[in-house]
Amino acid sequence: MPDLTRLRAVLARRTEGRAVVLLIAVLVAAVAFEPVVFSSFQVVLGRVALIGLVALGLTAVILLGELDLSVASTLALSGVVMASIPDPVLGVVAALATGLVVGLINSFFVVVVGINSFIATLGMLFALRGAAFVLSGEEPVRLTNIDAGIAFGAPLIGPLTPRVLLFFLVFAALQVFLSRTRIGREFYAVGGNRQAAIDVGIPVRRRLVLGFLISGVVASLAGVINTLERTAADPTAGSTVLLASFAAAIIGGVLLNGGRGTVLGTLIGALALSILQVVLTLSGVQVDIQDIFVGSILLIAIISDPTRLRASVSRLRDSLSRSRTRAPA
Amino acid sequence: MAESTLRESIVAPTTAPAPASRGARVLQFVADRGIVVFTVGLIVFAIVFVNGFASVSNVSDVFYRAAPIGIVALGMTFVVISANYLDLSVVAQVATAAVIFIGVSNQAGIIAAVLVAIVVALVYGLVNGIAVGYFRANAVIVTLATTFIGLGILRWLSGGSIFFGPDGGIVQSLGQAKVGPVPLSAIVLIAMAVILGFVLQKTTFGFAIRSYGSNKAAARLAGVQTGRLVVGAFIITSLSAMVAGFVLAAFSNTAVSSMSDGYDFRALAAIIIGGTSVFGGRGSVLRTLLGVVFVSVLTNILVLSGMGFGLQQVAIGALIVIAVSVDALARKLVKS
Repeated sequence: MPDLTRLRAVLARRTEGRAVVLLIAVLVAAVAFEPVVFSSFQVVLGRVALIGLVALGLTAVILLGELDLSVASTLALSGVVMASIPDPVLGVVAALATGLVVGLINSFFVVVVGINSFIATLGMLFALRGAAFVLSGEEPVRLTNIDAGIAFGAPLIGPLTPRVLLFFLVFAALQVFLSRTRIGREFYAVGGNRQAAIDVGIPVRRRLVLGFLISGVVASLAGVINTLERTAADPTAGSTVLLASFAAAIIGGVLLNGGRGTVLGTLIGALALSILQVVLTLSGVQVDIQDIFVGSILLIAIISDPTRLRASVSRLRDSLSRSRTRAPA
Repeated sequence: MAESTLRESIVAPTTAPAPASRGARVLQFVADRGIVVFTVGLIVFAIVFVNGFASVSNVSDVFYRAAPIGIVALGMTFVVISANYLDLSVVAQVATAAVIFIGVSNQAGIIAAVLVAIVVALVYGLVNGIAVGYFRANAVIVTLATTFIGLGILRWLSGGSIFFGPDGGIVQSLGQAKVGPVPLSAIVLIAMAVILGFVLQKTTFGFAIRSYGSNKAAARLAGVQTGRLVVGAFIITSLSAMVAGFVLAAFSNTAVSSMSDGYDFRALAAIIIGGTSVFGGRGSVLRTLLGVVFVSVLTNILVLSGMGFGLQQVAIGALIVIAVSVDALARKLVKS
């Protein structure tokens, strides 16, 4: 009996509830309609790696109570940077350095100048995409070393491709960092109550810089992976990634105001979304209708925040009844 | 008149002025009034130095291109001033209105098309507004979700195909209509600015929106029906996006679901460059109009000087960051 109360207490603390519910619902639907999904899990994992990787980096920034809209443009720009350099190793290094620089610029505007991160990274969204267009001459850049790209797409350990392995590596690193290290725990304090974090002596500015560096580098890593898989860098790449990665994090229970949520939640959210998309694709549902599904799930996820739902419904009812009593007067 | 409206928009809900150094005052002036100076300066620069700018055909081309995005930005100013960041779903709304304007009027006449479009705009405004205003959900995520849903429905129903208006049809004649040398779309833009400017500056609703944007808690305690206010702001944005869709469709006499890609952040860019604060409360419709003119003239100059799409994007990104940095630094200096 006491075990049950402890279990309940643990569950109440977790934020992944809705993501788990969605994942279970999607899996049940998959068993019922398209059991083929379970034999084609490589496709699923490939999709998770695409949406999920950017979402993982984004989670670190959102936990701090900030936003990074520049991730998709960072992805595109680092891909182009990488493809423009003939030597593959040097290209990868340069691409990751691009992400690092982007993170530094973002945090400069947010921390030093003091602009809202939403706007600073909005400016970077335009500027970096523009830079990707200028650098590429507005056309896809072919990778010089196509063999590297082909080797990258081959399974490395068992059926797992390097892309999937990298994704889980980043996931594990961020999971340990945010839940087991002191600096990672301080991310939650900064996002949960900025003033309290300052008062207890947490170096808030340094934590913010670190957060933007993480999302910048992870986004550029996604750009590298994307370029290797396609053996070409497209300056328009990643335009849908921004929206999908936000969706994964939000469905995963990461609170947009900061301070609440987990990397695990983002992983489950990305997993649920990806399986859903694969199931729908296999059942022959058009991409357009898939978007309607994803949008509806996102809308339900954001308005069904369990801690606030009851208050919201009563507000709505209150407002409606007030207008009804007023109408005759 | 322009100057007085501008001053009013700044004075109304801001904090009490603090004594400031001369440097801070200069910076504050640039942050507050800079957009007027910069816009006029840019136009003068273009007339004097840029070949081919000061011709009737070029100026009317600038207006043709500015009108749809400008009308979206004018309406979205209400959402921004109510401290709800932006409405991403205008992308879906503009394209939907354009497709309805041509697709439905081909089948059932233009009046039916306008009626259907109004219903669709109201649905968008209500869904976004109720989710943000009553469920207190984050506007970015809510409108992101309605973008997915809306574009999905539009592409599904339209099959992603391009709709053409008939040659010499009413849509085409509206798109080519001019009053003197002024294209009809420019007149619609100015008319929308006058109407929306009046609503924001002179009505109780407009005042409530601005006070709610400055301080949500205070507005709520003062008895403002905040939920309805947010719904109202989103409905205004949706109706403006609908008008923009009509203008866009009439301009080319075609409509396709991808025709308004990027309108979300481009409209927000014009609003921010105009000097409306995304923290809510501060800003005006006139500022947005100036921001639209500034961005359009700058883009036109870049195009005339042979710069590509990439450099235009870099310029817009840099402008956003500069505009907001000046504002942030000015406030920091005033505070210290």
